[in-house]
Amino acid sequence: MKLTEVIKKNREVIVIVLILLVLILVRSTGKNHFKNDAEKWAQSSINKSDIIISEKLGLPDGKNLLINLDKDKFIKNNSDLLNISSDSVFSKKYFNAIMKHDGPVLLFSSNSGVSARVWMLLSQMGKKKLYILSDKTDNEVLKYKFKPDGLSTENTE
Amino acid sequence: MNTRQKFSAGLLIIGFILALLPLSGSRSFTVRPQKLLGEVLDSSTWVTVDQVARFIVTEDSSVQVIDLRTPEEFKTVNIPGSINLPYNNFFDVDPARLLNNGKARNIFYSNGDFDSNFALAIARGLNLKNTFVMKGGLNEWFNTVMNSTFTGDKISPRENALFETRTRAKKLFSEMNSMPDSLKLKFIQSTHLAAKKLDGGCE
Repeated sequence: MKLTEVIKKNREVIVIVLILLVLILVRSTGKNHFKNDAEKWAQSSINKSDIIISEKLGLPDGKNLLINLDKDKFIKNNSDLLNISSDSVFSKKYFNAIMKHDGPVLLFSSNSGVSARVWMLLSQMGKKKLYILSDKTDNEVLKYKFKPDGLSTENTE
Repeated sequence: MNTRQKFSAGLLIIGFILALLPLSGSRSFTVRPQKLLGEVLDSSTWVTVDQVARFIVTEDSSVQVIDLRTPEEFKTVNIPGSINLPYNNFFDVDPARLLNNGKARNIFYSNGDFDSNFALAIARGLNLKNTFVMKGGLNEWFNTVMNSTFTGDKISPRENALFETRTRAKKLFSEMNSMPDSLKLKFIQSTHLAAKKLDGGCE
């Protein structure tokens, strides 16, 4: 049987398969969608390998790209640093700059909660080598000790 | 098209549809990125320790406070009425099942600002809009509520109300966390009973 005959005979099947194939390609290569399996992309936030202390800056391999997420604290742009207001992270220009950067991308903000939220979103978009730059090693350590007398607390810092 | 071809086509279609579906509907972000970014950066997603103190003191039943720390940390000290959902195990239980609890607000807290905000971004990505974060975490709770003192000569009615709420929250927190674990649950029940009696209600 010739190829053209096979195609002609199965054209409905081939059309359906092609449509689905296109849909799969769009979904898997689309840059505007989150990846499947949120747990996988959140994993480094669970084991805390996504947080880098500013003192140890330079540890990740490759050239760092620092992203200042603060709107009102502009730092002079250079090849290693971009001022991207947190609400503009997904604008095409900045998003491409982040996603296409080969080396480590380090997010920082005066509000560490903002860095954490933006980190999670970018990570779920499939960005690897993404870190949060923090000035503290112990953000998630309780700095106070509760005294059972119920009347006072002790700062352990 | 003969039966064999129809069957093959059917199998192919099912296979491709399955390939298109996310691995787990509840574990992939479903909100569009730009919309989600706007949502997670909205200032209303943060609540202050004073707001949480008020919810605790008034026993606001529309609020569920969720402690994301480890079970050991939770056992040592926790905000009265909170439940423990360690961030390390956030995906072990289906977050959607836990957070679709009919509460208007689920407020996350950890010791600092990272885990609670990671959890918020995940929850909002899963389209769980009733999630919020207590800004500053338990460290801020200790700093603001537990170490609350009044110094000065005059106090405005607003400051007085705030100070009173903090004092009541501090008392509740202290009483609760000074107790052995076995008594903590009974304590919560007894405070409900005391409130009913004060209101003139009956058991």
